Amino acid sequence: MAKAGRDEERRTFAEEADSLWLITFAGSIWAVHFVLCYGATAAVCAKLGGDAAAIATLRLALGGFTLLALAGIALVAWRSWVQWDFLDDWDYEHDMAEKEDRHEFLGHASFLISIISFIGVIYVSLPVLVLETCQ
Amino acid sequence: MLAKPVDEETRERGADELRQTWKTPKGFRYWTAVNNSEIGKWYALSAFFFMMCAGVLGLLIRVQLAVPGNDFLSADRFNQFFTMHGSAMMFLFAVPMFEAISILLLPGLLGARDMPFPRLSAYGFWCFIIGGIFVMGSILFGVAPNSGWFMYPPLATEAEGIGSDIWLLGLSFIEVASIAAAVELIVGVLKCRPPGMRINLMPLYAWYVLVVGGMILFAFPPLIAGDFLFELQRSFDWPFFDPERGGDPMLWQHLFWIFGHPEVYIIFLPSIAIAAMVVPTAAQRPIVGYSWIVLSAVGTGFLSFGLWVHHMFTTGLPSMSLGFFSAASEAVVIPTGIQLFAFVATLMVGRVKMNLPMLFISGALAIFTAGGLTGVMVALAPFDWQAHDTYFIVAHLHYTLFGGMVFPLMAGIYYFFPIFTKKTLSERTGRVVFWLMFVGFNVTFMPMHFTGLMGMPRRVYTYPSVLGWDLLNLISSVGAFIVAAGFVLFAVDLLRPRGKQPYAPRNPWKAGTLEWSHYVPEENWGSRSVPYITSRYPLWEQEGIVERMDEGRYYLPDAPELKRETLVTTVLDARPIQCLRVTGPTWITILAAVFTGGAFIFPTFHWYPPAIVCGGAAIACVIYWLWTATSQIPEKDKDMRDAGLSLRLPVYASGPASVGWWGVWITMLGDATAFASLVFGFVFYWTAKPDFPPTGTEHALVGYLMLGVAALVASWGSIYGARVVNRQGKVATARALLVAAPLLAIVGSGLFYLSVANAGLEPASHVYPAIIWAVMIWTIVHTGGGVIMQCYCLAGALFGKVTPEHDSDLWNVTLYWHFVCLTVVVAGLTIGLMPRVM
Repeated sequence: MAKAGRDEERRTFAEEADSLWLITFAGSIWAVHFVLCYGATAAVCAKLGGDAAAIATLRLALGGFTLLALAGIALVAWRSWVQWDFLDDWDYEHDMAEKEDRHEFLGHASFLISIISFIGVIYVSLPVLVLETCQ
Repeated sequence: MLAKPVDEETRERGADELRQTWKTPKGFRYWTAVNNSEIGKWYALSAFFFMMCAGVLGLLIRVQLAVPGNDFLSADRFNQFFTMHGSAMMFLFAVPMFEAISILLLPGLLGARDMPFPRLSAYGFWCFIIGGIFVMGSILFGVAPNSGWFMYPPLATEAEGIGSDIWLLGLSFIEVASIAAAVELIVGVLKCRPPGMRINLMPLYAWYVLVVGGMILFAFPPLIAGDFLFELQRSFDWPFFDPERGGDPMLWQHLFWIFGHPEVYIIFLPSIAIAAMVVPTAAQRPIVGYSWIVLSAVGTGFLSFGLWVHHMFTTGLPSMSLGFFSAASEAVVIPTGIQLFAFVATLMVGRVKMNLPMLFISGALAIFTAGGLTGVMVALAPFDWQAHDTYFIVAHLHYTLFGGMVFPLMAGIYYFFPIFTKKTLSERTGRVVFWLMFVGFNVTFMPMHFTGLMGMPRRVYTYPSVLGWDLLNLISSVGAFIVAAGFVLFAVDLLRPRGKQPYAPRNPWKAGTLEWSHYVPEENWGSRSVPYITSRYPLWEQEGIVERMDEGRYYLPDAPELKRETLVTTVLDARPIQCLRVTGPTWITILAAVFTGGAFIFPTFHWYPPAIVCGGAAIACVIYWLWTATSQIPEKDKDMRDAGLSLRLPVYASGPASVGWWGVWITMLGDATAFASLVFGFVFYWTAKPDFPPTGTEHALVGYLMLGVAALVASWGSIYGARVVNRQGKVATARALLVAAPLLAIVGSGLFYLSVANAGLEPASHVYPAIIWAVMIWTIVHTGGGVIMQCYCLAGALFGKVTPEHDSDLWNVTLYWHFVCLTVVVAGLTIGLMPRVM
């Protein structure tokens, strides 16, 4: 039993290459969402600028995509929250020379970045919500 | 084992070996040095020199504007001066200064002996100084660029003389140096940390360096792609930005500001990183909210890429698009604010000593906050429509740059000076310098808010008296001289001879981070022995660590083979995995930089043959340098190194374990970004222009194109296969594949070229054929480089530099070819398929 516990611990805090990438996921989702909003709007406004139906479709599509992006970021945030495991030991400093601290620190940083990205996506979506034409 | 004392004799022997190995060359050979301490010093002093030059230009601008109707400067000279003031401050001061300080500090912060690629730093420095003198010198001949630091077409493309070419080619050349430094710094932070320094224990400065290095990789390449198109237009009249032939000046604005806005944060973050080092020392306690600061660095890094169009609010883009950028511009305030609050919180809970660096940081916080608030105002499109191109913007940007860069940098110089020179700057003079700068700055730039709101536009060389701007301008000009007095006083204190001044104490500010274990008087070995780190502030929290380092009780306390070495560790947990032999003094980097300079500078005067010769010579120099100094197979029985404390490490590493592989991977990420910018250009023309591609035009020939892409993909397959079978020991098969790979690549490149050249596409006639040619040239240059690399591996295999066990060259070249393969496929789809479905 003790051995199994140790093995699990070793697995959890192994030097997982993906956990450094984790801190870039939420920001990347923000970036993809941003580029898509900008690109789709630029294309629709340039090619079908006068067409009210096209703009309505665009706004609907971007609205849907925004929900998707928010869901993605929420997922990353959940993953990071689990990795941070705050409620386990109430640790938010992570300044010990232990694998567990490194593991939880990356979760913590990633969680915070998810929050910023979430706010960022909402901000960027506001124009889609309130503006009805390209002009 | 750590507690065991090292006997006197072993200690002395180790110290002597290290001293001998790391000594700086004397006499005229001094300039062959590649040590981070020398390169960093030269880099910093050159950047400071260019800053002073650009400052003088600023002062002359203020003299001209002091009174209405002034004729101190002619309109053209005024244009040259403000163009060079901005360009030099950005490209020759702000970014290089960050690189200089980081090259100086990073090994100390990480307890490393040196950066992983010392010669790359040296090459970057020599490129920088050659390019800098070329660009800056042009002003003495009255031929400097005069179209503004952003070089907007059509003004800049139509400008007479060679000014625009000097800007484009000279600064592209310097951007190469910036990217080289970024690669060096990222790999340094990720792979050269001391054992035990897990990623959660890394000094905050290193976090910022990592983020800024990453930003350079994504921000500079769009500008390089833009420069490429721009210079093709200037030299060969390919109409990328000419609306009469289907081009669009807006593409330049996009590419420029995709670079230009992150650039602001590339300047700001490293300076705020200095604050993150000074503040805990001043408060004598660890930083509050380490994770929050990492969040703000990474968050700012991302969000700063969504701001570029806020420089283009008045260009008539759809308002919905403006909304996205306005929103992102407001969002970036959140992470930026968080880091300032973390500093304030640290100061509140600590026992603050108001030392001189802290005084500069306080000034920085005040000024930057003011600049940030006007930033929030101009990020709103309707306000920006009013303030755009007025002195309000000049005031805003100088507040952010002085508060976000100059003041923290001054704090950093005062703070770190004992590490750089082993002496201190004068505290009393420093306080005078601070007040001159702080008061002078506000006197200069505060009134500009009002001159701007009263309607005074930027970049006018004079103004009539009736508009009511006279007094405000005069005040600004007086203020500029007060700032200048501060800088002169600082320069005197910085450069005065210090022969008789006593040495500074080793840790004068009682800081907690590793760089303060430096040696007084100077020793060039970086770190006497590489420590084991278990805390964020080892000097505060790991008792006796400095004494142990000094006594050589940690890793690598000697250099029995008299070879320069440093430890390589894993990315997350800093487990030691290699004892890397790093390169030493050499002339080859200077030669390589001189020839690279020739390849960029001769085309300014349309002298293409010498440029081509220089380009070839530069490639030859780099090949010689790589062949003789990198990935050397260790001598027999010396492939493992006893690093001390029972740690035995391999000397040779290949693939992801080696620093070279990381260097290639990071460089290629930047390269791929530049290529993506070209493809963006292609799509941009389609959205912006109704006649792209023009009706009835010729297209690239699909047959040739498909065969070319197939051959190039096969070449990629061959080099990949060669790497795999070589590892399995099938040397003959590997060599056969290494012969096939360059042949396939040459055939593929030829077919790719013919698919465009034989299609009757005339690049000067319209932007559509021009961009197809540009994508083709970009691709062929890369496959050409790939052929040279494949031949390098083949030669390596034949002459024993590449063996089944020692295959790092093959790994690196294969990695390069992964990117080439991607480029080829995307290029093929872009020019072959996309126009037919558009």
